[in-house]
Amino acid sequence: MQVRDYVARRLMILPLLIVGTSIIVFALSRVGGSPIAIYLSHEMTADEVAEIEERYGVNEPLPVQYLAWAAGALRGDLGWSGVSSAPVRQIFPKKLAASAELAVAAGLVAVALGISLGTFAGARRDRWPDHFARIFSISGASMPVFWFGILLLILFWVILGIAPIGRSDPGVFARIAHPTGVYTIDAILAGDAGALWDAIWHLILPAITLGYGTTAIITRMMRSSLVEELGEDYVDAARAKGLPERIVLRRHARRNALIPTVTVVGLSFGFLLQGTVVVEIIFRYPGLGRWLADAVLRGDRATIMAYVLFTSVLFLLINLIVDVLYAYLDRRVVLGE
Amino acid sequence: MGLIIIVALVGMALLAPVLTVPNTPDPAQMPRDWGALNEPPGTPGHPLGTTTSGGDVLYGLIWGARTSLKLSVIVVSITVIIGTIIGSLAGFLGGRIDTVLMRIVDVFLSIPELIFALAIAAVLGPSLRNIILAIAAVFWVKYARLIRGQIIHVKQNEYVDAARVIGDSRLRIYLKDILPNSMTPLVVQATLDMGHVVLIGATLSFIGLAEAGLAEWGVLVSEGQTGISAGRWWVSLFAGGMIFLWSLAFNLVGDAMRDVLDPRMEGR
Amino acid sequence: MSATDPTSPASMHSGTGPALAERVPLVSVEGLRVHFTSKRGVVHAVDGVTLDIGDGETVALVGETGSGKSVTAKSLLRLIPRPPGVIAGGKALFRSKMPCPGCRGAGCVDCGQTGRVGEPCTACAGAGCGVCGQSGRSTVDLLTIPEDELRDIRGNRIAMIFQDPGKALNPALTIRAQIAEVFAEHRSDELVSEAGLDDESGRLLRRAVRNRGRFFERRLGSLPPLRSQRRRVDAVLDGRIVEALADTRIPNPVKIMRSYPHELSGGMKQRVMIAQALACDPDLLIADEPTTALDVTIQARILDLIGELQARRGTSVLYISHDLSLVRGIADRAAVMYAGMLAEVGPAEQIFADPLHPYTRGLLAAIPTPGMGRGRLAAIEGTVPELIDPPPACRFHTRCPHAATACARTDPPLAIRQPPDHRAACLLYDDAAEVGERPEDMPDRSAAS
Repeated sequence: MQVRDYVARRLMILPLLIVGTSIIVFALSRVGGSPIAIYLSHEMTADEVAEIEERYGVNEPLPVQYLAWAAGALRGDLGWSGVSSAPVRQIFPKKLAASAELAVAAGLVAVALGISLGTFAGARRDRWPDHFARIFSISGASMPVFWFGILLLILFWVILGIAPIGRSDPGVFARIAHPTGVYTIDAILAGDAGALWDAIWHLILPAITLGYGTTAIITRMMRSSLVEELGEDYVDAARAKGLPERIVLRRHARRNALIPTVTVVGLSFGFLLQGTVVVEIIFRYPGLGRWLADAVLRGDRATIMAYVLFTSVLFLLINLIVDVLYAYLDRRVVLGE
Repeated sequence: MGLIIIVALVGMALLAPVLTVPNTPDPAQMPRDWGALNEPPGTPGHPLGTTTSGGDVLYGLIWGARTSLKLSVIVVSITVIIGTIIGSLAGFLGGRIDTVLMRIVDVFLSIPELIFALAIAAVLGPSLRNIILAIAAVFWVKYARLIRGQIIHVKQNEYVDAARVIGDSRLRIYLKDILPNSMTPLVVQATLDMGHVVLIGATLSFIGLAEAGLAEWGVLVSEGQTGISAGRWWVSLFAGGMIFLWSLAFNLVGDAMRDVLDPRMEGR
Repeated sequence: MSATDPTSPASMHSGTGPALAERVPLVSVEGLRVHFTSKRGVVHAVDGVTLDIGDGETVALVGETGSGKSVTAKSLLRLIPRPPGVIAGGKALFRSKMPCPGCRGAGCVDCGQTGRVGEPCTACAGAGCGVCGQSGRSTVDLLTIPEDELRDIRGNRIAMIFQDPGKALNPALTIRAQIAEVFAEHRSDELVSEAGLDDESGRLLRRAVRNRGRFFERRLGSLPPLRSQRRRVDAVLDGRIVEALADTRIPNPVKIMRSYPHELSGGMKQRVMIAQALACDPDLLIADEPTTALDVTIQARILDLIGELQARRGTSVLYISHDLSLVRGIADRAAVMYAGMLAEVGPAEQIFADPLHPYTRGLLAAIPTPGMGRGRLAAIEGTVPELIDPPPACRFHTRCPHAATACARTDPPLAIRQPPDHRAACLLYDDAAEVGERPEDMPDRSAAS
């Protein structure tokens, strides 16, 4: 099968998956307890309750409710966020900018570090860098994100007193405009080096916490696929051509070892998204994750639904891109089931 | 090494009523010593200190192991059973049933697992039972997909053809030839998940989806977290360390099993 | 099969190496030992192999899987994975050649039409001294020379083709990119001067061509003035690659050059490998079972191709194979390897006509020939012994039908049994050894089959 056909087929399945996901999300909101409980209070009269029920259409048959909700979601209307006392669509972009900044920072560090460390270890199989990488990656996979964050906090905040908490210094925040909501970019736009430093400074610990698990996964994958590639004949063939070891490693083995690593990078995006929930709680970082945690504790279903739907669609798209990239990169792969 | 930690932790969980005086009426709840709040480790009667609400940290660690054992054993058994049934149906019967089931699996897999479990637990309300349900609802898909792939792979082997030629019934072939030969990766995955489930469960209870005051490591970390700025590091440190140990142990053993069962991957 | 056809190019060449071959061999392997450390002990994969390869000569190294033949070949280029492998001893002297000064590579009487002559020793200018072992030719020990000197030899003076061309080509790079590497590594000076560039811009471009430069140099190479020059170099390179591919009689080399390995058939891929290996006119080609992974119909064509190209260029070939019958038509000399040691070495014709070692006899008896009756195919009883810390004994004595007590106690030397140079490592031919059965008592091959 051609890569083009494969992409076309994947694109055809995509809407199906999105619809399926949205049905699950909708179903979730109707399980156990009233979806509008957060909008009600004890002081309301029966008429007032009936009016709210009417407004949210909870007395309609479920399919009708689903269609109404889905139509709203398509228009960008995701309901009223109880925890923020504002429409979801209004709050969402700000929170997203904050979380995206954190996740991208963590992701970039994880990819760069994971690939280098994995290459370094794989090329020195069974010697000490390799053992170190193994310990690093297996402990990263077992590490509870929140515990790691707390360890860093105890060390850098409580004991050393050098790390900040939150997302920015209030004085610095007030100093510059925030057109994008991504503070590092805002600082660059404002040309304020101090603000940029402040934004980065607040990002470091959360990004390390969030990125550790992902780095571990990428390191492990990169190492094992490099070891596998180094055992292939074409690596010997490259050496037999007289190429220096550095070129053999970079141009031949690492290039091919990167291909399976790409899939892990895609999957680890989900890992990063999940991680923001706890990381943001620990570092009091005002992003999507903490918003979700608040919503979860208060039973704010509109917010939960919006969050789950958004991350799932994003996750789907990213996996699609990764799969297509993989099919394109790995010419050995036989496409199909 | 991983095995030693597992034996120690599981032993601790099973011997919890012997190692400590069980709290009454519900031993899974932390005992409260209102006369000793926020005591540091080394306090008489509380060797590992107490929490903000006077919970004994040592008691929490030991009974937390019991909670984790319960959590992981229940979730892994439920998901393995459901996953095996669904995956077998899809892989063995094939055709339209397979397509439909696998699309459902795809949909489930398109939601990041922690987020999904979090959302389910949130709508069900905060309790350990709901955490178990939520994780189980998310994890079965992995097994379904694993078993299906494995069965489709095994089905192509010649001994299956041989059995068919002999005239064995389909059910018999499935039970005798296909299923036993599909179990290897399942066992490895289940071992790894024993750790993974506890990690996710602790994360959910850390966020606040377990009953308050439950003797569970995630709850303890969460409770201890508020005191960190005041220098009370011990609660979160010890409880989180237990989660790490638990998950590390099962990861080590799962990896070792994979190396043994799949020699091709040795040392990789 | 055309490989055994006496009129095919491969067969025509057999047994007609240049006269030079008798004087100084191109490669002299002396007492090569390669060990692998394993959990259970040290595996003596190659345990004292001594073998010469003459100029233009085809030597076949034959043995079963695990006999150490591939390890022997790979250690000539130091391609043994270390760890766990280690070259534990021995020498592999290599005397490289250069374009003939009389005809500048065109081929003349002096160089026997091959266009290449031996490179004189730098220490004594050909007079013969201690450095070159009195041979007068430039001599290096492949097992000990520094890594960068070895790299100058790999792919340039000694090239290798592998068993499975599907695995030996990098799936992620085009054929062009893979062959270009060889030229860029060893012929960058020629490429730059052929493109008509001066040394100054050439230096930078050479690094660029070799893909060796730092990031900034590479960016610099894509700036306008250099870019056009680089294109000229690329055009010259393309010409060389097409030429190399066309030499292997690949149809439509321009198209092949732009393909990826997975787009080609197995036979095509092996041709590409051959083109790549012979790109720099090596003195020695190591062919590690080059046809094992191919269809039977393709095998003969690939063998013919190697033979033809070798005859034209005067290349020596070390042929690794587990298949005696395949070797028969193409080799000048054959070496039979068993459990890390040579069992028998000699002119190929003699080995096939009159095998001395019981193992060789067994191998030959196991080859089915036309006209042979049913059920007569002989197999050698038993299996290859483990090579972990082997005792001093004939490695074959556990399976040998003629084994005597002495065979389990002494390591038989590889001595000349039939002048001038047919050697066999077998005590049965040793007059001094006390063995029960004399060679004349041994059933000869015609009787066995």
